[in-house]
Amino acid sequence: MSHHHDNENNFRLHTPAFDSLNKRLDRRNFLTKTSLGIGALALGSLLGKNGASGKIASSATASNAAIDDVISALPHFAPKAKRVIYLFMSGGPSQIETFDYKPALVERYGQDLPGSVRQGQRLTAMSANQSKFPMVPSRYKFNQHGKNGTWVSELLPHTAKVIDELCIIKSLHTEHINHDPAITFFQTGNQLPGRPSIGSWLSYGLGTDNQNLPSFIVLVSKNAPKDQPLYTRLWGNGFLPSEYQGVEFRAGKDPVLYLNNPDGYDGTDRDEMLDYLTRLNKLQNSAYGDPEVDARIAQYEMAYRMQTSVPDVMSVVDEPDEVFDLYGPDSRDPGTYAANCLLARKLLEKDVKFVQLYHQGWDHHGGLPAGMENQCRQTDQSTAALITDLKRRGLLEDTLVIWGGEFGRTVYSQGQLTPTNYGRDHHPRCFTMWMAGAGVKAGFSYGETDEFSYNIVKDPVHVHDFQATLLHLMGVDHERLTYKFQGRRFRLTDTHGNVVKDILT
Amino acid sequence: MLDILTFFGRLHPVVVHLPIGFLLLAVSLDLTAWNPRFHYLRQAVPFVLFLGFLSAVAACLFGYLLSLTGDYDTVLLNRHKVSGIALAVGAGALLWIRIRMSTFSPQIFSGMLIAMMALITYSGHQGGNLTHGSDYLSMQALFEEKREKPVSVSAALLFEDVVHPVLRQKCGQCHGPGKMKGKFSVANHAKLMDGSKNGPAVVPGKLAESELFRRITLDPGHKEFMPTDGKTPLTADEIGLIAYWIEQAHAEPTQSMEALQANDTLLMQVARVLGLDNRPAKVSASDNANEYGHIPETLDITLVESLRNKGLNVRLNLQQPVVLDVTLPDHSGLKAEDFREELLHVGHHVVWLNLSDNDFKDEDLSFLKDLPNLEKLRLENNPLTDGIADYLQNMQYLEALNLNATAVTAAGISKLRKNPKLERIYSWNLKGRD
Repeated sequence: MSHHHDNENNFRLHTPAFDSLNKRLDRRNFLTKTSLGIGALALGSLLGKNGASGKIASSATASNAAIDDVISALPHFAPKAKRVIYLFMSGGPSQIETFDYKPALVERYGQDLPGSVRQGQRLTAMSANQSKFPMVPSRYKFNQHGKNGTWVSELLPHTAKVIDELCIIKSLHTEHINHDPAITFFQTGNQLPGRPSIGSWLSYGLGTDNQNLPSFIVLVSKNAPKDQPLYTRLWGNGFLPSEYQGVEFRAGKDPVLYLNNPDGYDGTDRDEMLDYLTRLNKLQNSAYGDPEVDARIAQYEMAYRMQTSVPDVMSVVDEPDEVFDLYGPDSRDPGTYAANCLLARKLLEKDVKFVQLYHQGWDHHGGLPAGMENQCRQTDQSTAALITDLKRRGLLEDTLVIWGGEFGRTVYSQGQLTPTNYGRDHHPRCFTMWMAGAGVKAGFSYGETDEFSYNIVKDPVHVHDFQATLLHLMGVDHERLTYKFQGRRFRLTDTHGNVVKDILT
Repeated sequence: MLDILTFFGRLHPVVVHLPIGFLLLAVSLDLTAWNPRFHYLRQAVPFVLFLGFLSAVAACLFGYLLSLTGDYDTVLLNRHKVSGIALAVGAGALLWIRIRMSTFSPQIFSGMLIAMMALITYSGHQGGNLTHGSDYLSMQALFEEKREKPVSVSAALLFEDVVHPVLRQKCGQCHGPGKMKGKFSVANHAKLMDGSKNGPAVVPGKLAESELFRRITLDPGHKEFMPTDGKTPLTADEIGLIAYWIEQAHAEPTQSMEALQANDTLLMQVARVLGLDNRPAKVSASDNANEYGHIPETLDITLVESLRNKGLNVRLNLQQPVVLDVTLPDHSGLKAEDFREELLHVGHHVVWLNLSDNDFKDEDLSFLKDLPNLEKLRLENNPLTDGIADYLQNMQYLEALNLNATAVTAAGISKLRKNPKLERIYSWNLKGRD
């Protein structure tokens, strides 16, 4: 602390260990990096730009200018939404027991699913070998709610009360029939790992509106069955720079570890320490030019700012009882879905751009009635509370709320159908999601399925269409937000996707 | 590291003249040596050829580095690259023949050297086209009469000044004097009307039968879409003008704009294509069209920076026109006079404004009436009273106003409701109700 190394030469350490850093380009380095480099480049062009030479070329100044061009063109449209909260119902909630009302199924109880409906479409290995596919209607009653008399299941009494705020899409469809590819597809636009997630794309393209908090935060419910795992790649940055990955807050009282200073240290010189650390890292990076070092520098600084911002935003002592009553009793127990909804509202108030909640346990192959009752009890009230709370605070003006899973469930029962129990297998051909808030029509329903809730008969919405629409609402043209990696430009929607204009205000 | 590569790349135009000189010298030595008086010159050929080969390889490497840095036309670049590399390989091969094959016919060797000279000429010309443009040195340039660019829309000739330059620019690379892909050329009116190997490209007065129009208006993903291979497609203005030319002007070569009695939209399109109107066309009619027609197009970016320097968060909501979303962080500790002036400098561009939770009183915010284009305004959690309504009741674009947790009363709210545009007023937790 007594020495201020303002001169960089003084700051450089002259010890053997640091010699390689100090030399930067000595004779050997120079020759390897120039002459050999040039040869490799020429060879690379003859061989079609594969391998290492392609990497060298991709880090050339020309491609940095291309990145700047992509970023500086944003936003492409006037955004309707500044923030997104995405409530991901992991496992695939049944559309038949929630929003897709199919009264005609009652008469078909126990009948075999007609071949004309299935049309030979693939089933999962879990039910493909069943001798019968007995159709089963929802065990739960539906009632009409809101101005437009929208049918909602009795499992969702609270959501039914805010139905006039929702834009329900009953005609989602996906290409994937199993959890991992389907959820990876939903969150990153591709069934294989390695692409950036939606939140990372937005964070990369649009930057942050609050320097003190990550622009992409992930909350996973602690009170959900963990039957199907979640992977950090679902909020990963893929090939984008690491600082754009989603930051997962731990479920519980201490959402980010090691934010408190250790015993005996008051933290007053942390700022200075980080300053020196940054300079050391930059010194190293001037020789290596590794973007991961830049990302690490950014992360250290973010962590420092989070030492004050996170305890501030996590604190619920100022919330009146009325708020806890609104979100339900779980909301006093940190890490539950209800508490996460409340926390999400506080993060949105701080202009965090993308908050993603995950609630697992919707994978009801068997024992669906008990499972659905439990899942809905855990999520319905606080989901509706979030809508109500955002609405009265005026935040629904520029916040987009999204609710949905990775696919739907079959009309036929998987396993034994009894009067009180049944299961449903994965169904990618139709399922229901809803959006609410900025830029989408309120009290609106879009798309229709056939009377079996098996095939879509009107206005299908593909996962890429949903992603394109989400980006559009944030002011981004999904065809123009690209990132060049391994020789080609990538985008969230790959070569697909159409904005669903009919649901936009 | 990268700068070194770029530096070497830029040496290409210098280094490239070495092989030209050496190889030409090798040719002249070899040819002169056919004269018995200068027979001894033949001994120098391998050495000069060696120098030519070495410098040609160097020129290829540097040329490759240069191609990485600039935006060169890929077709021309490829021709130059392939012919240049062929030249280096050819020089090496000749050298090898001369050294290793003592029985090789000297006549054929001289013939090959002359062929190499032709290759030098071709490659050099392509290189020149890359640097100076393909019309820099062409036979056409020698005979062409240049028509001056018209100074006004009414003086323009629809085909010659408007449609033809567009076709030449967007299609001429493949369908021009040089290449004639599909046996189709847009080089002049006669050739254009000749059509392609598939039949006529333009049928006067009949848009639906005109293959050219069909190709440029297909879905860009369609394999017959033109221009193909990701080249810049025609703009909506350009397509509109071509359609008008084919249909209304019967694809005539010499119609003037004045004689055509064109409508305003068309005249505007012509003006934009001719560059007589600097305002860019709207990106597409469905997005943001006219939504922000009342907001000035451009804004000095330094004004935005000075507002940011005051501690406000400024988001760009739209680039054309410049539309801003401004947020003062909560509990910022700033007073209105600290940033008022900077905010008003960009005032016409601000559509979303958030001043919540900053201890502002009514009179602090009198400047709001000078932000005429506000659409969404957040003032919640400030000690405001009904006085705030006076500044806001006449705002013609304001649609959402957040007054939560202020001391505004029902009287203030009802005053604001008289503003017909103001659709949503948030008035939860008003202090007056406690």
